[in-house]
Amino acid sequence: MSAATEDILDHLAAISFVAGRDARAALPAVTSLSETAVLRYLETGRDLFFYDREAGKAFFHATADLMQAFGGLDPWLDQARHFLSQRGTFRAAVGFFEQAGAVRRSRGADGEALWFDLGATWIDRHVDSAASYFRVPAAILFGNAGTEGLRALLAPADTLARGRLGLGTYLEGAIRVRGICGLDGVAEWARRGADVLAAGRVRGEAWFRLESDEARNFLLEVLPGFHMGAHKRLFGLLLQAWTGLHLPLEEGGWSLEGGRSFLETDGRSLFVPAVMPDREEALLAFYHTGAHLVFDSYEQDAIRALFAETGMEHPPLDSDQRMTWRPLFARFGEDMIRFQLIFDLCEDLRVDVALEREMPGYLARVVRAARGHHLPEGPARYYYEAGLRLLEDARAGRLSAGLAVLTTPQAGIVDAFRAALTWYANTDLPPLTLAERASAYLPGHSPNAARPVYPRRKRDSDAPEMDGGGGLGAAGHEEKPRESPQQAEGNDPDMDIPPEDIQGTGGRVGVGIPMPAKVTGSGRGVKGPRGGWAYREWDYRHQSYKEDWARVHERSLREYDEAKAIEIAIAYDGTLRRLKQALQAQKPTRMAPRRRQYEGDEPDLEAAVQFMVERRAGRSPKASVYQQRRPQQRDTAVLLLADLSTSIMAEAGDSGVRVVDRLRAAMLLFGEALVEVGDPFALYGFASKYHDEVLLYPIKRFADRFDTRVRALLGGLSGRLATRMGAAIRHSSRLMLRSPAQRRLLLILSDGRPADYDDGGDPRYLQEDTRMAVKEAQDLGIHAFCISLDPRGGEYLPLVFGPGHYLVLPHLDSLPARLPEIYLRLRGHSA
Amino acid sequence: MAESNGLRLLIDEPFYQPVANEVRVFLAAWDRRLPVMLKGPTGCGKTRFLEHMAWRLKRPLVTVACHEDLTSSDLIGRFLIEGNETVWQDGPLTRAVREGAICYLDEIVEARTDTTVVIHPLTDHRRHLPIEKLGIEITAHRDFMLVISYNPGYQTVLKDLKPSTKQRFVGMNFHYPPADVETRIVMKEAGVDEGRAKALVAAAGKARNLKEQGLQEVTSTRALIYAGALMVAGLDALEACVVAIIHPQTDDPELAEALLEIFRTFFPEQG
Repeated sequence: MSAATEDILDHLAAISFVAGRDARAALPAVTSLSETAVLRYLETGRDLFFYDREAGKAFFHATADLMQAFGGLDPWLDQARHFLSQRGTFRAAVGFFEQAGAVRRSRGADGEALWFDLGATWIDRHVDSAASYFRVPAAILFGNAGTEGLRALLAPADTLARGRLGLGTYLEGAIRVRGICGLDGVAEWARRGADVLAAGRVRGEAWFRLESDEARNFLLEVLPGFHMGAHKRLFGLLLQAWTGLHLPLEEGGWSLEGGRSFLETDGRSLFVPAVMPDREEALLAFYHTGAHLVFDSYEQDAIRALFAETGMEHPPLDSDQRMTWRPLFARFGEDMIRFQLIFDLCEDLRVDVALEREMPGYLARVVRAARGHHLPEGPARYYYEAGLRLLEDARAGRLSAGLAVLTTPQAGIVDAFRAALTWYANTDLPPLTLAERASAYLPGHSPNAARPVYPRRKRDSDAPEMDGGGGLGAAGHEEKPRESPQQAEGNDPDMDIPPEDIQGTGGRVGVGIPMPAKVTGSGRGVKGPRGGWAYREWDYRHQSYKEDWARVHERSLREYDEAKAIEIAIAYDGTLRRLKQALQAQKPTRMAPRRRQYEGDEPDLEAAVQFMVERRAGRSPKASVYQQRRPQQRDTAVLLLADLSTSIMAEAGDSGVRVVDRLRAAMLLFGEALVEVGDPFALYGFASKYHDEVLLYPIKRFADRFDTRVRALLGGLSGRLATRMGAAIRHSSRLMLRSPAQRRLLLILSDGRPADYDDGGDPRYLQEDTRMAVKEAQDLGIHAFCISLDPRGGEYLPLVFGPGHYLVLPHLDSLPARLPEIYLRLRGHSA
Repeated sequence: MAESNGLRLLIDEPFYQPVANEVRVFLAAWDRRLPVMLKGPTGCGKTRFLEHMAWRLKRPLVTVACHEDLTSSDLIGRFLIEGNETVWQDGPLTRAVREGAICYLDEIVEARTDTTVVIHPLTDHRRHLPIEKLGIEITAHRDFMLVISYNPGYQTVLKDLKPSTKQRFVGMNFHYPPADVETRIVMKEAGVDEGRAKALVAAAGKARNLKEQGLQEVTSTRALIYAGALMVAGLDALEACVVAIIHPQTDDPELAEALLEIFRTFFPEQG
């Protein structure tokens, strides 16, 4: 060892014990080199150590590995010196030393050089970016596309750096995007991201971190495969055609990590993945899952029997009344996945064969699709092949006796479970991990117990047939537990005011029957939220207005229930269709000839002949011998204002039907009918909690479309709070004035008297105010009409709305069909 | 078929496959000359049934397809000018009343209410037809029978038959026949083999589940027969289904795709 070398080592040891020790420990790896080379090596180590302790340590620690990988000091020693060119590069240096050897071995000299060069350019530009780069495991950085792939991955980063986007943020996102949609996807993602970044820094960074909806949506767009979103309706239709089930399709889970995505069900909805490999696989998935639903894989008695079979207690349902199969598999401990897969194979076989009876050629399609796919790797392959073989054997009638049982029409899930137990006891199928499980399924198939399910009821049919013999209807699942009244934003006084503190008639229970009022004084001066719109209120006792007394706030409803909306649409299908056809026939654009007119564009031939005939016969007929074709002009806008107070949650009498059930249906039908008519319309609900918190809930504004969102809102309607009708009418009038129409109709739907918590228990107070509000509306040219479900409506409605401006519906059940009809009648009158 | 003055006398037996008690009920109504109302969806065999009964009873049949602009004079008759004279010409209803035919008012709800009330006196014990323009009232021939049809799908809030009209009729409900009967009908009418007839009927069974999805009318037996007939005429099976069933039924592309997917399952494409 030369003196110069010793000098350096001593120097290092003097500065730090660790440095001296590490340098000496690293030395044997380089001693075979020339004196000059060793000196150069040590100098570099020393410089690095003085520059940053951690970088120096990493240098000495990695030496043996680097020497072995590179077979010398070149070029890594020079590369190492590059980290000395800027302050704060130690993190990048540590990453470099830890990985360079492995990169040299796996990617060769050129690969390593490229890897270093691409990172080194960032040392000069942005040290943190360089650190991020060198710390990403090189195997991940390179991916499957080699050096060119790495170059392509990094290419967009240069441009983005000009927008001051660090490499760390970019790389993390880019690698995930590359995993999902390949390098082309990365380029496109980065290009669009640059625009987003230019538009706003926060938005841009969220894009590159894949945290924003727009980034996710973009990925969904460029995702390779068959995009399910665009075809949801088709699949819904096919599911309905084959199974008679009309289930909502919801978005299934979608992971940025990629992986195989499955169609899943919870017995009540289908969860559709964003993409599937191709259309055929998507179709098969819908058919197969639909078959599980109709052939009772999720039927409650069958599942109970399943648990009984294993001698287990039927597990209690979860808080959503769903059940899970997990306890069934739990006893298999670590081998759970293996058994669960075997059970799925058996149950899928049973269901697939049952489906084949309905859908000729189905098994052949699954087999064809399965053969068209690459076989999965690893243990999953054995399950995939077993599934395929089962279907082929089933087609050829070659199944073993134990499995052939599953192909009889009477076979149930319990038979599948038994067959699975037998198979499991005698199988040599290898164990596999949860991650490997995903690829074990045939196309269109998926884990049957993926989600907890709402148990279904058995179909009423002796011979199992998919759609129960063409019977339509709602899914045979258990009824959802009834909703309880929702709380409005803020607190519901029904809930949090002690009973003795309630003053007034608010919080009615039952249809239009006010609770006995105990009046102890005038309204409480509760301060509600500020803002909103202030309206005056009529006080009949002083025969004057209280200025700015009532305050109206517009609030959004948050409860969506699409399933309920669909259920209602099905229940009222006949009514709706008849309504629509009637309306189509009436459409003002339909240029039906108006015959026997006194003037017109063309003669009415028949009337003309009759005219001549009667003239000749010596009579004096009327000269109405023309016909006209012109659309009838009707320009009516309507706002439907529904009372959403607590009382609508009550049952009407002891019929078991709640007001809210019929209210939802009525508003849905009304909306559908109005879409058909083409009149501008809006749907609002209202409730109130003291004079300064009258809440108006826009369900559909005039400008909104009547779409799924609106339908789901209507499906989720519920009651809350009280009924301060006057203020709601005043605000609705203001809203209506903005709608451009010649005639304006304000349709109020209620089930009881106006009342509120602070009305002092005087029913006349708000009643009088409502009367004034109606009068004010009339002065503005708005016709108000009230449809009431209150059997005692006749007592006060004539006073409030005026004779002929109200209707009391004695039967709650008739509301849905009557509401649109009443509107059309009113509209006819006002036309 | 013999036709005279708008009255058709059916000579050859029109094929009709009874499904339930409809023939017995109709004969009983005929026996008492009670008016009959046939209810059922498009293409389920209402008209064919009536033709068959007319043939069986050997009565001529007068069919009037009702529409919105149908006036009472279209049914009863009108004066025409001939040279310098006015001449009365009987309408189809009057002819049937005079000559003892079965008068069939098809899709009666399409006609305006004021038109349909002219049949009222014919449908009760009076069996009279007042002809206002002639100032006379004619008594129906003893073999006259009135039959109306309507499709409840067309029934409307605003354009329903008045209850007072409906109650004057014996009501008979028609539906698409059960699969085995429908298969026989398709085989017989279209001349198609049993395999294809079965497949057509099975596919229609599935397609009919889409009723509430924007299809105003579901796949009818008539459409199946057309599809079968086109197959016999040499069209590819799926092609026949597309042109005879799917295209006429919907303009909605997704619905059409769903229907196509269903029929394709039963009639896989060649190759």
